Amino acid sequence: MAELLGTFEQSVLLSIFGLRDEAYGRAILNHVQELLQRNVSAGAVYATLERLEARGLVLSRLAEGSPARGGRARRYYTVAGEGERALSETQKALTAIWKDVQLPIQEGL
Amino acid sequence: MKMSVHAPPRWAERFLERLLPARARQVVVGDLREEYLESMLPRRGRLRADLWFIRQVASFVPQFSREVSPMGKILLWFSWFTLVCTCWLALMEMLLRHPGFELRALLAIGVAAICMATIVVRMLHVAMRTERWLWLGAALLIGVGGEAFLHSATADHFEGFAVVISVVLLVQGILMLITLGQPAKGSPRPLETTLG
Repeated sequence: MAELLGTFEQSVLLSIFGLRDEAYGRAILNHVQELLQRNVSAGAVYATLERLEARGLVLSRLAEGSPARGGRARRYYTVAGEGERALSETQKALTAIWKDVQLPIQEGL
Repeated sequence: MKMSVHAPPRWAERFLERLLPARARQVVVGDLREEYLESMLPRRGRLRADLWFIRQVASFVPQFSREVSPMGKILLWFSWFTLVCTCWLALMEMLLRHPGFELRALLAIGVAAICMATIVVRMLHVAMRTERWLWLGAALLIGVGGEAFLHSATADHFEGFAVVISVVLLVQGILMLITLGQPAKGSPRPLETTLG
């Protein structure tokens, strides 16, 4: 079984899924903030993207940038097959862990 | 009517460009610039947008700092600590103005400058030419630290703070000497020059 994903990694991967063809750094940053309902630093998101890509969970490609970016390239991300599997396994594991738990957690559980 | 052209703080952009690996440089700076111009500036105004930009740049420091060697990392922590202490000492000397304060304040500012240079060199991997000056800095730190330690050890009144600072200066100087020969930069990923 693959290593389970952390909450932040899941958020980034799910954002890439949700954004489909528009999943580039800035859009992912904003989407992750919406998902987690809190401010998230750009450094944390880009470091996570780098890590996920190094692990083969996401793929990226460069595209030309707009004038607002001073012509700087955009990097678009897609979730790789390995990433989908990791998400799926993480979801299964979390569902299994929480299956018999009723909130608020009862004493002696 | 001449329109003013707003842009993120140039120094912060340049800092970020130095900090990031070649692969991420264009992309990240472009993303932050786009968010600044299209979202932050219209919604929050110049000052708050600038602060947002600087905060985002700062968030990359722990993530993308190029320091890789364990001893270099310790040196960075020591340098930050000494920088804060010496800035505080220089400020106090200038406010209290006890006899001979000029020399002590100057010494504190000198040590602070060495710490700042160490931080910049180790984190951003600036030119090796700058590192040569750090050899002199390391010698100065060891000299000042050693003198302060001996003075504290033989003083009538034991001052724990002075001993701690002097030991930090000594260790920092030694770490600088050890790490100066080591590269601060991790192996960069290959630079992508083509799109697609």
